[in-house]
Amino acid sequence: MGSFDYLLHGFGIALQPMNLLWALIGSALGTAIGVLPGIGPALTIALLLPVTVAIAPTAAFIMFAGVLYGAMYGGSTTSILINTPGESGSMMTALEGNKMARDGRGAAALATAAIGSFVAGTIATIALTFLAPYVAELAFIFRPADYFALILLAFCSVAVVMGSSRVRGFIALLLGIAMGTVGIDVMTGQPRLNFGVMGLLNGIELTVVLVSLFAVGEILFVASRYDPGQETPISVRGRWMTREDFRRSWKPWLRGTVLGFPMGVLPGGGSEIPTMLSYTLERKLCEKPEEFGTTGAIEGVAGPEAANNAAAAGVLVPLLTLGLPTSATAAILLAAFQNYGLQPGPNLFTSNADLVWGLIASLYIGNAMLLILNLPLVGMWVRLLSIPKPQLYAGILVFALIGIWGVSGSQIDLIVMVIVGVAGYVMRVYDFPIAPVLIGLILGPMAEYQLRTALLSRQGSPWVLVETPISIAFLVVAALTFVLPPLIRRLRARS
Amino acid sequence: MQQDSRPSRPWWLAAIVVALGAVCVLGAASLPAASRYAGIGPGTVPRLVGIALIVLGLILAVQIARGETFEPQGTENADAALPMNPLAFALALVAAVLPIFALQTLGLPLVAMVSFTLVARSFGSRRLLVDLVSGAILGALAWYLFDRLGLQLGGFMPFAGLG
Amino acid sequence: MFMRNILAATVAAVALVSAAQADVSVMIPADPGGGWDGTGRQAMAAMAAAGIYTEGVNFTNTGGAGGTIGLAAFQNAQTAKPDSLAVFGAITVGSIILNDSPLDLSDFTPIARLTAEYDVLAVDAGSDIETLAQFVEALKADPGANPVGGGSAGGVDQIALALLAQEAGVPVPDLNYIPQASGAETVTAIVNGTLKAGISGISEFQQFAEQGRIRILGVTAAERHPALPDVPTFAEEGFNVEIANWRGFLGSPDMPADNAAEWVARFDQLNDSAEWQQVLETQGWGQYYLSGPAFGDFVADETDRIGEILREAGLAD
Repeated sequence: MGSFDYLLHGFGIALQPMNLLWALIGSALGTAIGVLPGIGPALTIALLLPVTVAIAPTAAFIMFAGVLYGAMYGGSTTSILINTPGESGSMMTALEGNKMARDGRGAAALATAAIGSFVAGTIATIALTFLAPYVAELAFIFRPADYFALILLAFCSVAVVMGSSRVRGFIALLLGIAMGTVGIDVMTGQPRLNFGVMGLLNGIELTVVLVSLFAVGEILFVASRYDPGQETPISVRGRWMTREDFRRSWKPWLRGTVLGFPMGVLPGGGSEIPTMLSYTLERKLCEKPEEFGTTGAIEGVAGPEAANNAAAAGVLVPLLTLGLPTSATAAILLAAFQNYGLQPGPNLFTSNADLVWGLIASLYIGNAMLLILNLPLVGMWVRLLSIPKPQLYAGILVFALIGIWGVSGSQIDLIVMVIVGVAGYVMRVYDFPIAPVLIGLILGPMAEYQLRTALLSRQGSPWVLVETPISIAFLVVAALTFVLPPLIRRLRARS
Repeated sequence: MQQDSRPSRPWWLAAIVVALGAVCVLGAASLPAASRYAGIGPGTVPRLVGIALIVLGLILAVQIARGETFEPQGTENADAALPMNPLAFALALVAAVLPIFALQTLGLPLVAMVSFTLVARSFGSRRLLVDLVSGAILGALAWYLFDRLGLQLGGFMPFAGLG
Repeated sequence: MFMRNILAATVAAVALVSAAQADVSVMIPADPGGGWDGTGRQAMAAMAAAGIYTEGVNFTNTGGAGGTIGLAAFQNAQTAKPDSLAVFGAITVGSIILNDSPLDLSDFTPIARLTAEYDVLAVDAGSDIETLAQFVEALKADPGANPVGGGSAGGVDQIALALLAQEAGVPVPDLNYIPQASGAETVTAIVNGTLKAGISGISEFQQFAEQGRIRILGVTAAERHPALPDVPTFAEEGFNVEIANWRGFLGSPDMPADNAAEWVARFDQLNDSAEWQQVLETQGWGQYYLSGPAFGDFVADETDRIGEILREAGLAD
């Protein structure tokens, strides 16, 4: 069977009424959380994890994929109408989109964002469909040393790219890795760094850390610096996309997709960089540069929104094919797979073809659903913004409690929640990036495991780490992530 | 950053990073550093991570000495330039700490009620009764739903013998 | 609006509290979704379906450390309770020793052992090792150069390998055992040359052997497995090793004798029921039944045997 047959089979699964319902629930939920402040897709999926007890894996992942894509759609709505990006990937959309809305072209901005997201999401999903099986073949080629080098590369790029300071990026990453070493050592079964606490034998759960950092840390931070000055959303009404708008939008959509997808695939790429690049590119290429920053240029919405969605789809490639999460959301999806006793990676495509292809097919369906949810029904989502903020954040804390207590029922986890939550607060105040903590927590144990397996299989010879061309290539690129950015900066300063 | 706020010197940040590194190194001390075939053992990675954290903490201290500025991250609904509101922070913190001591005895619905009200209050809500009621309903509904899903959220109101 | 919500919540609360008055509580010392979770829930469901025990059942999942965390909580909270059960298995025995857990399985009331899965040992399909005896020869010659993969450290797979080595006269501490995340990962590592051999449950390896990726050399059962009629047992190949990954139920410590007898009788009935046979078949679990004091003796024997082998492997002191 080729990709196409598998995909058809996947549609057979995704189109089952129950799975369609899960896709709808996920898409609606994703759009809602994208619109609402303070709660992103990673946190939402973390809070939904307990559901995995009750529903089948395919249904759960179809729902989670809806949340992932939906958040991207919802984020643009808030950016355009009240100039506060719901997600970091929507920051660029806010720049031009809000100006367009003020200029009476809000509907056009929302439409180009939604259609652009749809186009990019669909193209990126097609790329995922046909790329993934090839990457999956790597399973029988990749050795532990190759995985180790790949994870080192992910570490370096995440710590260097995310946040404003490399030192703080690496501190965040290492804190995550350190937390990852707590608990029973998988290689020897010995307890590590639990300091005699039984409740820590099982390690510190990613969900606990994620919920603590994103929900508790955020609540503490916003509470301490709360700015109640509420902006009322600009009316959704206004001129819809004209023929001219379409003519100006389609190229940015495609360019945004081309920028976003590969950046999403790369570790540490995330959605911030491609949207920023797309914005800069469209500004340079635009026929009417005078609209940028004044009345709002439609290219500045179309490009970044497409890039944003394409990057979200790109993130799924390394996750599904190599089991390598490159963003906080991907990390939590990995945890969800592990909840089901599934290990994403090449084997998943053979051992759980129904799940993988059902999920991929549901991405197409979810995109179509989201287009409908977000074009005609956008007014409904805007109403969510009228939930008073005090009660909204209070509700988030209650859900955080349930998310942590519901899964483990462990008092230790509640203590970890407070400690990590306060750490999340401090990290926000002193501008430490948050995502590297999660990447370190989930990839740290993997890196250690692959390193020790590699060494064991060659009886401790360190040369095993540079035995294959793959590992050498990854290690070289990892080293480059250190050297290149300062070098470029210096060259630029000189010119 | 405002003009009047001269670069603060948060030495304690560096100190915490160094201390966390030291905890890793100490915790790894009791673990075997090498296993028979790998050359490295269960203690190796924690030790290396600890050492790296200590080094990074020292670098951070140097940066702080050189006057590195730390600007709070921008988030929705928060104004990074505002000074910290200690009372609001404390209320929200109490809301997060309370469950540690109360969840097992009071049960989720009651704890949700109190924590909900505390957070809402820390955001300036004055509608005490509405907050109490919304928190209790949220907690009770969540308890019910999760119970139906087969998850354990503890007793409904254990101190009253319910659940 | 608010009054209506309050009313609805109150009604819901009362309904639940009355519904939650379960008669038996079952501790599942693992996270939801895994094998122990399935064993516990399916066994109680089959018991209800067969009309053996139809009252409410209250499950608690407390995962971690091979069940030792959940069992410790169970011991603290449920000692001497008449109707409190816990799921556990062969892995628990090893974990108690490995983690220096203060638990002593003989403190609990033995109820029943329900299921088991036997292990198989496999090498790459293209390997020149054709029989278990040849593999043991290679292992004897250079144990370090023959890394073997399997389940978690101190688990049944590693114990099985250690028992084999002991039988063959290979020093157990010399074995190069590398724990793997799953059976599929073990197969991948065998195929890409990281591992020389792998040891895992029959169900995990069977499909890969059928795909022609690996060659199964032996099974740790007393008799050949019906699904693998061509695979000899370890004993047939001259190594007297028999070990299974079993799962069962314990009662609370100091459970009143009448209740214990009643639960043993219920599990005896369950084991004979058509409903349970159906569960075994759909789940692919092997029947491995033993109940009451005889099961207690079995657990004690396993504790001695596994403890000894872990100490010899240098994993415990």
